[in-house]
Amino acid sequence: MREDLLWVEKYRPKRIMDIVGNEEAKTAFVNWFKNAHRTKKAVLLYGPPGVGKTTLVNAAANEFSFRVIEMNASDTRSEKAITRVAGPAVAFAALDTFSTESKGNVLFMDEVDGIAGNEDRGGVSTILRIIEDSRVPVIMAANDPDIEKLRPLKKVSALIRFYQVRIPMIISLLQEICHREGIKAEFEALERIAENSRGDVRSAINDLQSLGETTKTLTLQDTVALSARNRDVSMDETLRRFFSVKSLQDASMLLSYSNVDYDDLLMSIGDNLPLRFTNPEDLAAAYNFVSRADMYRGRIGVENWHLLRYFFNSLAEAAAVSPESYQPFTLISPPIRVITLFWTKGKRTALDSICAKIGQRCHVSRATAKTDFLPFIKILLARNKADDVVSWLELLPEEAEFISKMNRL
Amino acid sequence: MVVLNKKAFKLPFMDREKFLLLMRLGLNYDRATGTFSVANYNNIGKLTDTLAVILSVDEVTFTQTCCICGKDFPCSECRYLKLCATKNLPFQCVCVECLREGRTFTNSG
Repeated sequence: MREDLLWVEKYRPKRIMDIVGNEEAKTAFVNWFKNAHRTKKAVLLYGPPGVGKTTLVNAAANEFSFRVIEMNASDTRSEKAITRVAGPAVAFAALDTFSTESKGNVLFMDEVDGIAGNEDRGGVSTILRIIEDSRVPVIMAANDPDIEKLRPLKKVSALIRFYQVRIPMIISLLQEICHREGIKAEFEALERIAENSRGDVRSAINDLQSLGETTKTLTLQDTVALSARNRDVSMDETLRRFFSVKSLQDASMLLSYSNVDYDDLLMSIGDNLPLRFTNPEDLAAAYNFVSRADMYRGRIGVENWHLLRYFFNSLAEAAAVSPESYQPFTLISPPIRVITLFWTKGKRTALDSICAKIGQRCHVSRATAKTDFLPFIKILLARNKADDVVSWLELLPEEAEFISKMNRL
Repeated sequence: MVVLNKKAFKLPFMDREKFLLLMRLGLNYDRATGTFSVANYNNIGKLTDTLAVILSVDEVTFTQTCCICGKDFPCSECRYLKLCATKNLPFQCVCVECLREGRTFTNSG
C-alpha cells in the first residue's frame, strides 16, 4: 500500500542545522533573526525553488520559539488582505512577549515576486508600510528578486541569496532517506535523480519517493522514466496518452512524469472529455473527478505543492472511468478558452481602448466604464441621441459603430 | 584554475588600491601571518575575478569544506564540476570520500 505522507514533509528539517546546503545564507539569516537591534526590519530570502527558504524560516521560528504568521501566493495579497492578516500579527507583538511559550510573531510572506495583477493591487506599498510600522521581524521569500515591482522592498530589506544545492549534497541526502526507508539504492540511480533535480531538493525527494516507494531496491534502470520527464512532451501527446490509458496506475504515472502546464492540462482535459466519453454516465463521473482536480489545483496555488498528488489522482481517476470504452478521436488542443481568447483578442483590444477613453474623460476605471457607462451609450446610440456624448468622449465613428453592434457588454 | 584555501591564503605584493579593493570585496588580512581570508561572501564573483587578475590566472576558486567530515578539499576533485551551477558559493559540499563511502549527514561515522 502506498504511504500517504509525502517524504518531502516526512523528512522536512525541523532544525536549522538539518537543512542541507546554503550554509552562508543560513548563518546570515540566523544572525539577522537573533539580532534584536537589527538595522533592517525585513529580510528578503531569494533563490531558486526547493533550496530551503521556507524550511529555514519555519525551522528558525521553531528553534527560537517564534510563531509564524504566513501569507503565501495562494492568498490574495491586496492591501486589505495583507492588513487583515499582518495587522494583528504586528499589533499583538507586545502581548506575546510575556508568554513563556512564544517570543512573539514572525510575519512571513512567501513568493512575494508573485504579487501582481489587479487582485494584489496595493500589496507592495502595504508591505512597505507594515515593515516600517512593524515591531516583529518581517521575512519575505522570492524566486526572482529582479522584477521591477520588488525594488522598493529590496531597498528596505536585508538580502540573503540562496543557491542551488549541489549534486553531492543531494546524493548524500537521498542516501540518508534510502537508509531510513530501508531501500537499497544503486549509487548511479541516486546520482541520476540528483542530476535530474537541477539543485532542487524538493523535486529530488519527490522523484525518489515516486521511484522507491513501492520497491525496496532502486536501480539505474528504474530511473529511465526520469529522463523521459526531461523531454518536452507536447500537450497533444500527453492528452493522447492520457485518454487511452488502461488503468488508474498508468494515468497517475503519466501525469507525474508530464511537464505540461497544469492549468492548460486541466482545461484541455475538460474540453476533450465529451469526445472521449460518449456515455453520459461515464462523462458525468469523469467531470466529477475533473472538478475535484480543479478544486485541488486552486488550493495548490504556487505554494502548496504537497497537494499535487491529489490533483494528479483526481485527474487519473477521470481518465480511468471506463478504459474499455476508448475509441480514437480527434483532440481539441489547445483548450477552447485559449482559442476563444485568441479569436476575440481584436474585439477585446477595441473595447479596452473605448473604455480607456471613457474612463479618462469621466474619471472612472476601465472596469466601471465598461459596466456602468457603456450600456447607456449603447442605448443612446440605438436611439440616435448619442452625437453629443460621442463627440465629448472623443470616440471615433468606427468605435461608436463597434459599441452599437456589440451583442453583449 | 587556482584553488585557494578560504581560511588562509597568501597573495603576491600588490599596490594600495588593489589591496583596498580586496578589502572592500570581502577579504580579511591577518598582519601576524601575512595571510588573507574570506570574511564576506556578498561579492564573491567580483572577488574571484579580481584575484584571478592579481594572480594572472584564468580562474580562481576556493576550497570547499565537507559538511560530513569537515575536511577542506578542492572542487577540481569533483566529478560533477561541469554540472555545478554554484562553483563559488556556498563553501560547503560533500567530499569524494564521504560520497563514495555512503556517509550521510546523521551517520558520519
